[in-house]
Amino acid sequence: MKKTDLSNLAIKRLAIANRGEVAVRIIKACEELGIETVLLHSDADINSRAYRMADHKVCIGGSTPAESYLNIKSNIQGAKAKSADAIHPGFGFLSENADFAKACVDAGLIFVGPSESAIRSLGDKVHCKELAKKCGIPLVPGYDGDDQTVETLSKEAARIGYPCIVKAAAGGGGRGMKLISQASEALERIESAQRESLSAFGSSKVFLEKYLDRAKHIEFQVFGDSIGKVRHLFERECSVQRRHQKIIEEATSPSLTPELRRKMGEAATLIAQTAGYRSAGTVEFLFQDGEFFLLEVNTRLQVEHPVTEMVLGIDLVKAQILNACQSFVFSEDQYKSFQGHSIECRVYAENSYEGGMPSTGKLGHVHFPEGPGRRFEYGFEEDDVITSFYDPMIAKVIVWDESRPRAIQKMIEVLNQSVIFGVHTNIPYLKAILSHPEFIAGTMTTQFISKYFSEPLKPPTREPALEVFVEEMKKQVGKSAPSEKSATAGNGYQNPWSEQWRMW
Amino acid sequence: MIQKFEKKIGNHVHKAIAEKVGDKIWIHVNGETLVFDAETTGRRRGKVAGKDAKSNTILAPMPGKITKLFKKLGDVVTVGESVLVMEAMKMEYTLKSNMAGTIKKVAFKELDQVALGALIVEIEPTKET
Repeated sequence: MKKTDLSNLAIKRLAIANRGEVAVRIIKACEELGIETVLLHSDADINSRAYRMADHKVCIGGSTPAESYLNIKSNIQGAKAKSADAIHPGFGFLSENADFAKACVDAGLIFVGPSESAIRSLGDKVHCKELAKKCGIPLVPGYDGDDQTVETLSKEAARIGYPCIVKAAAGGGGRGMKLISQASEALERIESAQRESLSAFGSSKVFLEKYLDRAKHIEFQVFGDSIGKVRHLFERECSVQRRHQKIIEEATSPSLTPELRRKMGEAATLIAQTAGYRSAGTVEFLFQDGEFFLLEVNTRLQVEHPVTEMVLGIDLVKAQILNACQSFVFSEDQYKSFQGHSIECRVYAENSYEGGMPSTGKLGHVHFPEGPGRRFEYGFEEDDVITSFYDPMIAKVIVWDESRPRAIQKMIEVLNQSVIFGVHTNIPYLKAILSHPEFIAGTMTTQFISKYFSEPLKPPTREPALEVFVEEMKKQVGKSAPSEKSATAGNGYQNPWSEQWRMW
Repeated sequence: MIQKFEKKIGNHVHKAIAEKVGDKIWIHVNGETLVFDAETTGRRRGKVAGKDAKSNTILAPMPGKITKLFKKLGDVVTVGESVLVMEAMKMEYTLKSNMAGTIKKVAFKELDQVALGALIVEIEPTKET
């Protein structure tokens, strides 16, 4: 392979402390920059695309995240063992861990991301709010005290009023985050959030916040360049969430006026600039009735970064790496406007017809329909195994088109033609969302899923002639009599789970 | 191995692909992915983890870790009451009882890893009077 001549870069070999599609994303950026890669992987991830693509690999521990992807020492040792000179943490796992950023620097490795101090001041949600107050950015009412006893937290929840939300102070991505809709639920939800927080982030610290019941989730991409200039790179809307986990994201938001976009962009830039932010970060807001409130700042690359890349023509991962090499400086006229519309769908390994029950197993045939304005980010291919150790996201499908309606139309067709065998996926569910009048109108809020999709999706019916075709194929492929028809399995959909496991 | 199919229905030519993966037949047709049990020995894997309305057991609906047991042997449970919390794919799931009764058996302890379909809790139903 012909490598780009960037031989003067400070990073010659970069270690990736992550897995799945983001590891693949980083490897591709490195390939283009002429940088060698070292994949720091767990036992479970030997059968993955990133493993096959990386130049060097080090197994850093067992299958559970605590043994490998969350283990600072193993990651550093793995990177050093293969003579890497930098580490990219991806997102999730150690990406927002200031101790990890510090450990990298202490070990003589470049951390591809913000400084340890910026992670500490913005990444800890409690500190971040103090900073926001200083910057005059509006905040959602809540409790962020050091008294973490369940008694105090319950009392504070009652003071804030229901519904309120309990969140992991070190968290993100919906883990360790629970909704308390009435007093009787407070104790259980607070304890549950503390446990999830401890197991996912290594800290049980939580905080409370008033729950806005018809808010939109709008976030601004920010980036601090090598000379310390912070710019915002417009917004993404991620209102389609379930259990506070994003499902569909888009750039830009269909709800912002140019005036609001300017105000929110300025607020995002201000807080990042105040914290001395370098590299890619995201300032998240809740937006309700024309008002915006700071939600949190994510001191890392986001899962949904591709939609920003599509409308701006920027490569955020390359920008991060070049920035870490002190070689990324914004020019005045760059990224001042966006073009068209981009949507990302997260494909999760779960059963749409069973309320999102996670699905694990070996992948069969996988096919994504390539075409203009289509992008597929995936970490697993045929014969790879989707395990229960990690996040159930197996791929991201991203489209770009000249307008939002066209992007929606394109996404539905792309999903129609995407094939994933071996595990169930949420593709039917994604299509139902994309076809929903409220989504099409762009007026969806974070309540969208619980409002319209609280019941598992009903399997579609097929016309008799198509049913006959399906039966023929079954016979041909199974080379035996058709399976016994039961009420649920007979129409092609498995129903092995109990109702209590419904998750949205 | 995938097999490709084509059939004209009305004015539309449907293109489909199908593949047998393990004991399942997967078919992609008309924008949908369908899955069926391949005819094997007659015992369907999907049934293992199934739990019908009359069941007095709580089975693991997927592999994961038990993070919290709210009930112990001899405790009384009501319909819809939380019995235990499992963690899988880094998310927590609460398993509830769907009948009133007394806990007759707790097969695991907190932090145990459980396999798909494993019996975790058995409930002695309260006698209707």
